[in-house]
Amino acid sequence: MSIEIPKDSWPGEVRTITIGATAEEGGTRTSTVTVGGEKTLPFMHFESPMPYRPVVAIEIKDRKPDDWSQLLNETWGEVMENPGLWAKAAEEVGAEIIQLSLSLTDKDGNRNTAEAAVSAVKNILENTGLPIMVYGPGQAEIDNELIVPISDATKGERVVLGICEDKNYRTIVASALANDHLVTARAPMDVNLSKQLNILIQDMGLSLDRVLMDPTTGALGYGIEYGFSVMERLRLAALQGDAMTQLPMAVTVGFEAWKTKEAKVGVDVPKTWGDWLERSITWETLTAISLIETGADIVSLRHPESVKRVRAAIEELIAVPAIA
Amino acid sequence: MAKHKIFFENISEPISVSTGTTLVDAAQSAGVDIQQPCGGQGRCGRCVAKITSGHVRRRSSLRLTNEDIEEGYTLACQSVIESDVSVYVPEQEKIERRLVTDLIAKNVLVPENYDGLIHQSIKRMNLDISPPTLEDQTDDWGRLQRVLRKEFQIENINISLELLVKLGNVLRESDWKVHVILDIEINESGLHPRLIDILPGHISGNEPLWGIAIDIGTTTVSVWLTDLISGEVKAQVAEYNQQITRGEDVISRIIYANKNNNKIEMADLVIDKTINLLIETACKRMQIKSSEIYKATISGNSTMIHLLLKIPTASIRLSPFVTAINEIPLFTAEDIGIDINPGGTIDCLPGVASYVGADITAGVLSSKVNETDKTTLFMDVGTNGEIVLGSKDWLVTCACSAGPAFEGAGVIDGMRATKGAIEEVWISNDSFEPNLRVIGNTKPKGICGSGLISLLSELFLVGLVDKAGNIKINLPIDRVREGEHGAEYVVVWGEDSATGADIAINKVDIDNLLRAKAAIYAGFSVLAEKVGVPLETVEQVLIGGSFGQYINVEKAIQIGLLPDLKWEQFHFLGNTSVQGAYKSLLDWRTREKVTEIASKMTYIELSADNKFYDAFMSAMFLPHTDLSKFPSVEIAVNENLLKTDLE
Repeated sequence: MSIEIPKDSWPGEVRTITIGATAEEGGTRTSTVTVGGEKTLPFMHFESPMPYRPVVAIEIKDRKPDDWSQLLNETWGEVMENPGLWAKAAEEVGAEIIQLSLSLTDKDGNRNTAEAAVSAVKNILENTGLPIMVYGPGQAEIDNELIVPISDATKGERVVLGICEDKNYRTIVASALANDHLVTARAPMDVNLSKQLNILIQDMGLSLDRVLMDPTTGALGYGIEYGFSVMERLRLAALQGDAMTQLPMAVTVGFEAWKTKEAKVGVDVPKTWGDWLERSITWETLTAISLIETGADIVSLRHPESVKRVRAAIEELIAVPAIA
Repeated sequence: MAKHKIFFENISEPISVSTGTTLVDAAQSAGVDIQQPCGGQGRCGRCVAKITSGHVRRRSSLRLTNEDIEEGYTLACQSVIESDVSVYVPEQEKIERRLVTDLIAKNVLVPENYDGLIHQSIKRMNLDISPPTLEDQTDDWGRLQRVLRKEFQIENINISLELLVKLGNVLRESDWKVHVILDIEINESGLHPRLIDILPGHISGNEPLWGIAIDIGTTTVSVWLTDLISGEVKAQVAEYNQQITRGEDVISRIIYANKNNNKIEMADLVIDKTINLLIETACKRMQIKSSEIYKATISGNSTMIHLLLKIPTASIRLSPFVTAINEIPLFTAEDIGIDINPGGTIDCLPGVASYVGADITAGVLSSKVNETDKTTLFMDVGTNGEIVLGSKDWLVTCACSAGPAFEGAGVIDGMRATKGAIEEVWISNDSFEPNLRVIGNTKPKGICGSGLISLLSELFLVGLVDKAGNIKINLPIDRVREGEHGAEYVVVWGEDSATGADIAINKVDIDNLLRAKAAIYAGFSVLAEKVGVPLETVEQVLIGGSFGQYINVEKAIQIGLLPDLKWEQFHFLGNTSVQGAYKSLLDWRTREKVTEIASKMTYIELSADNKFYDAFMSAMFLPHTDLSKFPSVEIAVNENLLKTDLE
């Protein structure tokens, strides 16, 4: 007996966006990454094949961070002292994009400077051929101070600059416009707020073909249901034809997963929690895969083992099942 | 270059100008004053002039109807002279009157076919009572009732102890010739007559018989003194609700009333310190005694009515938000403490729910939403925005807390719409200088609700504020600066203001305004969605509330407060609550309709699900996250973007 699988078709589709530029395209990258283009919900191959698979970025910092889990420090070791080498190591363990998160201060506690940030970015570009995303430390004034010179110094590379938020987007967007970069637009877990920010960015003249959105999420056990649902609703709106939501989504999974107590704390926890390292990696992996299943196009991770597992999961999900 | 002759009517000599001169420039050289509040951008329509012969090239005819254009009207700032023309420049006042139609509350019309003797439940009757004798020892009250039964077929009359106490004296002192005031209290179960007063002597049937309609607003209390015989309103008085000193909105009043049992004080503030003083003023104006008023019909939101009656209000504020009573029985003035005849009837109109009170049922009645075939949106904007959607067949209603921003509170330089308030703002998109209209033409003190709407809309249209309400900083303009509360736009410099301090609007103010307008618009959206009626298909929007009288529809649409419908679909009705109380006071059949309206309205509690929140977030944007809901605004914004270049 044959089974008819019901198929949905949608009027809208997600924009296709390419990150990074090769020499012919005016940059220096040896590879670029293209995401988006979905015409249906994730992995519904029988309705419409997914044109580009979700990709894994590795998050690195411009200096060895003070507040990362000891497990991450042990894994990455010495390369954390040099962002260029760190990026190179990340590429070796399977990163498809390098996501640099700039520090608020230098290791002595002084405010980070534009010179230091630009030199970190140049170092990364020299050591890896992958496309890069650069996010500021998350304080409007300092973000702008650091991101603009980086944007100027990397003109033509199609770097993703971040993070644009509703209270602080103008400077970064203007700089992306001037230097042919992309931006990430982050709104706090609300469909309307995401749309509003995309409208504001578009109003400044930046084509939405150069905007990724980060709807913000929580880690497993820390509000992931809410993040999942917002992303799902954004994607449904996109497929239903709402132009302001038809953007690929990039989420900072590593940042969320590694700040949970389960990942941070290794001693004095109940025995039933199991092995610390395994637990932390599982936490990051499950958070990432859940969000990929609701439409994330780019997940930024921190641990190499998570990268391996998530990439393997994507591989399985993207494979068109034989029964179809 | 070619020269053309321009004839201005009222000026004998024509002037000569070159091709390409605008009509305003030509007028200026001729010494004719044409005002341009928007700075010659063709946006405000205040520079209308009439071409009586010849032609001009019109760069834009925004705001003019096809009829206007056919009659020769043109915007002087947008008219380019390319040949000889004759021009008539109307007086400014007339222009404003033509543009700003329907802003002024209409004179109160007595309802058609009103007959005080038939429709009024308060009756006055002259009685000749036969004195008692040794043969007929019927008691005084029995004698009086006997006459009423025989001559007027009225039986089973209630009388209070106070009246019984004075009955005998009045009868004897007036030699058994008296007149009585009765409330026959008609309802579906028949007549329930009650004696209000008994007075010596006879009185002519044409003498006024007094009643009052009262609207207890959160901010303002209005009293209409009415002659129940002719139905005419003889005096209209209004004053701030003195409870205002105990909180600007209903919630803070409820909190105050519940604290230390302050409800007695709250009742005193509205009865003794507000209503009774208003009654005194109205009585003085008509030279009558307040004891000659025999009935008061009262409208107001549920909280105001509860506070008036000293009924606890805590349950109104707390989930699940219920009132003690929606349909209130009749009381006497003595029970409540309202200074009319002690036996006078107090009729509080029925409400629907905690936040949809008698002011709304009365508003629906007076705006006739319940009688129209048209799908109608009725709104009463004050501190709370109450909204009714429906027609003669169905009515749904909801209430959303807009906060006091539109009443001038919650905004640093906000104020009520009184003398010195900026009520209209136009901002030039070249210089970003504002052009203001101030109530009373004095130095400005602050900005009132309509001024805030107009200001926000202008800031948005000229590009000083983005769609999220952020003020753009780092602009080469003095008026935009970093202030105590973040970026701000200076509307009036200290040297030009009444207080000597700068008048400015900042991001916090704008956020408050956005929240207020988003709450109201979200109310519209949710209500419309619940009943499956798209907002675009609403045929008319009726706006009640004193605030509504001053809103500029265009500006309110541009900030996304009102739905994007044609301007002529909006009608301002003034205080619909007091109008409803007045109509109910006059005619018992109308009063029954209010009860019917109250029972027919389906109340939708917005906090029951997350639809309102979603709609609210979506409306927290200029004009709205879904731009397709505001096509006219998109056009206006794009037109302006062409003129402005801030990036």
